[in-house]
Amino acid sequence: MEVRVEAVSKIWSVAGAAPITALDTVRHRFPSGRFSCLLGPSGCGKSTLIQIVGGLEAPSTGTISIVDPANGRSAPVGASSIMMWQGLNLFPWRNVIDNVAFGLEVAGISRNERHQRARTMLATVGLNGFDRHLPRQLSGGMRQRVALARALIMERPILLMDEPFAALDAQTKIVMQEELLRIFEATRKTVLFVTHAIDEAILLGDEIVVMTARPGRIKEVIPINLPRPRSFDLVNTPEFGALFQRVFHLIREEVTRAMTEQAA
Amino acid sequence: MTRRRIAGLTLPALSIVGFIALWQLVVELRGIPPIYLPAPSAIAEALSQMALDGTLWINLAVTVLRIFAGFSVAAVCGVALGLLMGRSHIVAQIADPWLAALYPLPKISLIPLMIIWLGTGETYNIAMSAISAFFPIVLSTYAGVQQVDQGLVLAARDLGASARQIQTKVILPAAIPHIFNGLHLGMGVTIILVVAAEMIGGSDQRGMGYLLINAGQVMDTDKVFASLVVMAVIGAVIMKLQRFIDRRAAPWAVNAGASRE
Repeated sequence: MEVRVEAVSKIWSVAGAAPITALDTVRHRFPSGRFSCLLGPSGCGKSTLIQIVGGLEAPSTGTISIVDPANGRSAPVGASSIMMWQGLNLFPWRNVIDNVAFGLEVAGISRNERHQRARTMLATVGLNGFDRHLPRQLSGGMRQRVALARALIMERPILLMDEPFAALDAQTKIVMQEELLRIFEATRKTVLFVTHAIDEAILLGDEIVVMTARPGRIKEVIPINLPRPRSFDLVNTPEFGALFQRVFHLIREEVTRAMTEQAA
Repeated sequence: MTRRRIAGLTLPALSIVGFIALWQLVVELRGIPPIYLPAPSAIAEALSQMALDGTLWINLAVTVLRIFAGFSVAAVCGVALGLLMGRSHIVAQIADPWLAALYPLPKISLIPLMIIWLGTGETYNIAMSAISAFFPIVLSTYAGVQQVDQGLVLAARDLGASARQIQTKVILPAAIPHIFNGLHLGMGVTIILVVAAEMIGGSDQRGMGYLLINAGQVMDTDKVFASLVVMAVIGAVIMKLQRFIDRRAAPWAVNAGASRE
C-alpha cells in the first residue's frame, strides 16, 4: 500500500496562545513495501505526521490517501495501518497474551483462536514462555516484542512506528533493530518509522525523509540503496559512513536552527 | 525465617500483650475504681458475658449489616455516576457543583435532617451509611476515569476497539485502582457514620453504637470498653479484607513499583 501525503498541514490552536504550525504543506509518497524513515529534530512534527497517516489525528488541511499500487484503488485511512507507539502503550492489567490478542478480541475472534494466533506471533518476534506475565514483569526489550507482536497480529499492510526503540539501552536496541529488519524483509510491509537517530534511519530505511525544525516541512529525501538483507555489520562499511556524513550535515543545520529559535 | 521477619511477627504481639499486662498491673496496684478504668480482666469478662447472652452477636450483626447495606448502595450508585461523569461532560458539569458543595459537608450534620425525614428506623441508618460512602466513591471514580492514560485509549482505537469497547476494556480497568481507593475511603466513613447514627437515633435500640451509648449512660464502663474492642477488631478485619480483595482484583496495580520477577 502506498501512502500519499498531499499538502498536509497541522496547526495546533491553544486558547490564549498563538497557534503553532506543526506541519506545513507536507507532500510525499511513501512507496509501497518500502521502509521509510522520518528523521528530524525534536518537535518537527514527525509523530504528528504518522498519527495523521494512521487516522488518529485529523490534518488541518490537505489529505492522506492509501492506494493499492497494483490496481490504483484506495483504502480508508486508518483501516490499513497499525501503530507501534513510542511509549508502547501496553495495557498494564493485561498479561502478554491478552495484550497481543487485544485487536483480535475487539474484532470478536474466539478466545482459543486469538490465543493461538497470539502465541504464533509471539514466537515470530522471539518471545516464548511469558504468556501469563504482566508488562511490568518484563524487561524493556521484551515489552518491545510484545508491542511489536500486538501490531503485527493485525496483519495490516502499513506499519507506523513512532520512535519505538528510543528508550532502549544500546545493546537491546541493536537486537531489536535486527529483529525488525528480519521481520520487514520477510513481510515487506510499508513502514513509516519515526526516529531521531541517524544511524538507525540508515540501517533500517530504504529512504530517509529529512524534516525541518518547526514548522515541519520535508527538507530532503535521501534514498538508501544499501543491499538487503541487512544486519548491524552494515554500520562499519564506508557506504554507511558516507551516508551518515551527508545526513548528519543536513540534520545539524536544522538542530542548530531549532536551538537558536528557541533561544530567541 | 530471618531475624527481621521473626521480629516483624512477634513484636506487634508482644506490644499488645505487654500493654495489657501493664494496664492490669496498674489498675490492681493503684486500686483505680472500675467505673473510670476497668481492668482488662473485667473487660474480658464483660465481653464473654455479652457473647454468652447473645447481645454482642445481635448488635454486631445489625451494625455490620447496616454498614454493608448502605455501602453497597453507595458503591453501585457512586461508581455508576463517576463513570458517567467521566464519559459525558454534560453529566460532569451538572453533578460538579453538588459534589463540590456536599463532599466537604460533615455527613454527621445531616443526622437531624435525616431523622426528620426518615424517622429513626432502619431506613435512617442505611441512608446515613449510603450518603457518607457515596461522595468519596464518586469523586475517586471520576478522578480515575479522568486520569486514564490517553495513549492507551488511542492504542485501543488504533487496534479497532469501538467507543463502547474502549469504555469497558480500557477506561474501566484503568480506573480500577482509583475506584478501589474510593471504596476504601467510603468504607472508612461508613463505619463511623453508622455507629454515630446508632448513637444518636436508633429507635430500635440495637447496634454497636446503641450498645456503646447505653453502657456509657449507665456508667457500665467495662461494657463500654468491650464494645470499643469489638468495633476496633471489626474495623481492622474489614480493612484487611478490602486490601485482600484489591490484590485479587487488580494485581497489576499493587506494588506498581516492584521490579520484575
